[in-house]
Amino acid sequence: MKKLNKNMWAWLTHDEHQQPKAITKGDKLRKRLSALGAIGVAALVLTGCAPSSPEPAETSTQAQSSATADPVDPVTLTIWSWRTEDVEKYNTIFDVYEAANPGVTVEFEAFLNTEYNQILATGLEGSDGPDLAMVRAYGGVQALIEAGQLLPVDGLVDTSAVEQSLLAAATGKADGKLYGVPFATQVLQVFYNKGIFDELGLTEPTTWDEFVAVNDALNASDYTPMALGAKDAWMLPIFHEIVGAARFGGPEFRAELLAGTKDFTDADYVASIGLVNDMTKYMVDDVIGIDYASSQVQFISGTAAQFPGGSFELGNFQTQAPDMDLGVYLVPPPPGAVSSKPLAAGWADGSFAINSQSENQEAALNLLNWLASPEFGQLFVNEIKQFSAIKGMDYSDPVMKEIGELFAAGPSQYINLVDMRYGTPTGSTLIGEGIQSMFLGEKSAADVAQYLQEGVSEWFTPGS
Amino acid sequence: MRVKTAGRALSVRMPILTGVVFVAPALILFAVFILYPLITALSYSFFSWKGTLRGEFIGLENYVTIFTKKPFDEDLPNAFAHNLLLFAGAMVFQNSIGLMLAVVLHKIGKLKRLFQTMFTMPYLISPLVVGYLWSLLLSPLFGPVNAILKQIGLEEFALPWLGDPTTAIWAIVFITAWQWIGFPMLLYGAALGGIPDEVTEAAEIDGAWGIKKFRTITLPLLLPALGTVSILTFIGAMEAFAIPYAVGGSDGTPAGATDVMALLFYRTAFESGDVGSIGTSSALATVLFLFIFGVAVALRFLLARGEKRLYG
Amino acid sequence: MRKRFDLLALPKHVLLWLYALVSLSPLFVMLLNSFRTTKEMAMEPLALPEEFRFTSYEKAWVTASFETYFINSMFVTITSVFLGTAVSLLAAYVFARSKRKIFGVLEGVFLSGLLLPVFLAILPIFYLFDTLGLISNLWGLILIYAALSIPFSSFILAAFFRQLPVDLEEAARIDGAGHFRTFFFILLPLVRPAIATVVVFRFVPIWNDFFYPLMLMRDRAVYTLPVGLTRFFGEYQTDWATLFAGLTIATIPLVILFLVASKQLVSGLTAGMSK
Repeated sequence: MKKLNKNMWAWLTHDEHQQPKAITKGDKLRKRLSALGAIGVAALVLTGCAPSSPEPAETSTQAQSSATADPVDPVTLTIWSWRTEDVEKYNTIFDVYEAANPGVTVEFEAFLNTEYNQILATGLEGSDGPDLAMVRAYGGVQALIEAGQLLPVDGLVDTSAVEQSLLAAATGKADGKLYGVPFATQVLQVFYNKGIFDELGLTEPTTWDEFVAVNDALNASDYTPMALGAKDAWMLPIFHEIVGAARFGGPEFRAELLAGTKDFTDADYVASIGLVNDMTKYMVDDVIGIDYASSQVQFISGTAAQFPGGSFELGNFQTQAPDMDLGVYLVPPPPGAVSSKPLAAGWADGSFAINSQSENQEAALNLLNWLASPEFGQLFVNEIKQFSAIKGMDYSDPVMKEIGELFAAGPSQYINLVDMRYGTPTGSTLIGEGIQSMFLGEKSAADVAQYLQEGVSEWFTPGS
Repeated sequence: MRVKTAGRALSVRMPILTGVVFVAPALILFAVFILYPLITALSYSFFSWKGTLRGEFIGLENYVTIFTKKPFDEDLPNAFAHNLLLFAGAMVFQNSIGLMLAVVLHKIGKLKRLFQTMFTMPYLISPLVVGYLWSLLLSPLFGPVNAILKQIGLEEFALPWLGDPTTAIWAIVFITAWQWIGFPMLLYGAALGGIPDEVTEAAEIDGAWGIKKFRTITLPLLLPALGTVSILTFIGAMEAFAIPYAVGGSDGTPAGATDVMALLFYRTAFESGDVGSIGTSSALATVLFLFIFGVAVALRFLLARGEKRLYG
Repeated sequence: MRKRFDLLALPKHVLLWLYALVSLSPLFVMLLNSFRTTKEMAMEPLALPEEFRFTSYEKAWVTASFETYFINSMFVTITSVFLGTAVSLLAAYVFARSKRKIFGVLEGVFLSGLLLPVFLAILPIFYLFDTLGLISNLWGLILIYAALSIPFSSFILAAFFRQLPVDLEEAARIDGAGHFRTFFFILLPLVRPAIATVVVFRFVPIWNDFFYPLMLMRDRAVYTLPVGLTRFFGEYQTDWATLFAGLTIATIPLVILFLVASKQLVSGLTAGMSK
């Protein structure tokens, strides 16, 4: 259901302004810390506090059997997450870590996505919080940082293997410190059903005219050209990025927007919103009544030929429609486009961070360093089947490989999530609701842009 | 022993100690697990917040925010109007149909329990399940409702029910009524059962039948139940959350057409990236609480006066 | 003697059956769809299953591991409904029969608990639970549900107590019975319909609630059924066949429970009607 996918609101993209903090002493420190960690944990196990003790993470430490005569004192690290669907896969990944680090047990606990923010905020405050946690990216993590619930890890974690532009996703807006390690990225593009394209003699469009021709041909057939869940407002800014990024100019526009030389009422941005409205003729009537899950079913069941969406759809499509031959492409630049090449908007999908109250901070830092390593990145790619935040991973899945190439050729950012989530109302909410009003005939493209600009002006000051 | 004293005198005679002993268990539970957290939460609205970290006392600043700043200045009146509409809709449809069913079921004979069970069945289902179910039933693409409408030639009524702002809120009124109809029906039914047979029989002997009997005998005697149902409906409508959430998501799609106060609170408290959200969401809840409280107390006062006039 | 020919019997029955159709057909659609494939549903919104297959049920049951959750839910719901109703009964009796101002004020305070959006207090409740060691403890849930029942239950029960004629109590008092004996032996049997109402209307929301266990129970061993379900829903949102099977499985226990108990519940509710 739609709300169970709300983590999309929190997904963030690269921020090239925030340069990564280079870490050089990381390795030395790591070794020193692990020794310290062993002593600290031993002391902890000996004190043996009651579960209701105010000290955090006590219970999880003791959950590990302390009777073993192991040379390394056992430690259990708890990790919280919103990925309930990936628990088994993460257990497999952490088995590898446990095997390489005797005495360390990693417990991966997942909670319902929609309530996760509140569960984590209270959990980090309480006495049985996790040692590490998945945190939302960018705006979504600021409340935890401001409350002092996360451990700043500058100089403690070697992030050299991480895609540097993604580190901003785990950076405090106010203090500029790094609070975690990003774990995944997402990319936006159009998925299409190659079987339907072949049947109608269509090929991947490379120019705007071809794109229109393909959709007109699909419109004339029995198939619905595009599946879109317009009833779920969060899907609409995603669709806007897919169709309009090249029109408004992606990274260049973003730079001017953040510098304050342009705002959302810019003519090119308005035109990009207008493109979204033009696309409705390629969707079912009453697309405003179609929810996200229904749009997925349209594509999976083969009634719709294309699905404009994020790379996070891939796993679900491949499980639900294993026989479908899946293709991906980027919408070519329309006439008047600012960018001459098609753009793929991407963003970081959350980070791993350490509870500032964790009693196992040394062990947690060791683990966090591993989470920033290529070894974890490749395991993540192989098991979770999403894009890792670690550079230079090997993608065996042909569709993933192709998405990776599309992104490399035309990288862009999902502005309304990356930069417009630091206050209320958020950019993504505003443009989502605005486009719904546009579909209903209540707002023009210019009205939507105006609505977006006025809304974010409540808290967003360019150049800050 | 004062044999002559009537009911009122009897109640006065209850020793205070007995009263305290009887009330104590409920009071302790209520005070510890509702009252204390609640007052604490209300107090949050007067402070500035950084995540879960409480800052300084800022007086009414959070209240100024929710009445003057975006998105609240638009969302608040919009959501509030929908709550009132849900209340009106529930009173007009849900409660009158519930009353009608209760009256028809009264003395229907053997099948009564079967009908009561069937009508109450939707109430048993988790609101989340209800949301999934009706979203799908009303889907323009895969929904049986529109499929039936098209089959019987009512093509023009096969609307995108949950996608059109004009129909979406009424769909929520309908789904709520569908789920909750058993509630007024059973309460009215119990009240009808409480009317002594002698009263109705006496009326029948006097020639009061059908509508006349209902209006002159049944309705006045149902008044206390009517009051109870109205107050609970009001509270239910003002706090509506589960069904709007399950049907329209936390944004109240499409374009805020199904937004209600509880959703606005939920969005602010749980989904907003704003670091000060505990303060603003607490202010929202306080405003909502004060409004419901005021109206409910006024309603109760009026009803108590009405009852007094009826029964002396 | 009381049986009379009712002219309206036929239209009455037609009306009742029509409404029964409105009430139950969505549930039948849910049941039927659980036997269909997602593709069948996408192609033809309303149709009978091509064949009755239980694969979806197997998948749903195996994935969701309902067993533990079911036992937890049973324990929490029954205990908290019992506790909540018991304390509310005692309080409601005082509210209805004492004219002391203090109890009037208290009744108002209880009632105010009915008026507050429940989410509001979650943060203070969390800290309270943390201090009391009630996080991930089923008794914590029981206490909070019992407390949450008090406003509604005492409101309904007090209303019923007020409607009871005082003559019976008067008579009991003349016979020398104290307040306790009068309450337990004279009044309790009389308010049975109200107790049934309160039990039904508290049992269901507590059984279905997922918010408090989600927020306060952080160990899989103490999850309740709705928490298990919310995870399940997220995972199968586009696998409609499995989803409908899960929805059906989630609904069946309560329906069975209600059917089994309905004899007591509804006959309690209608005790006054069918005499």
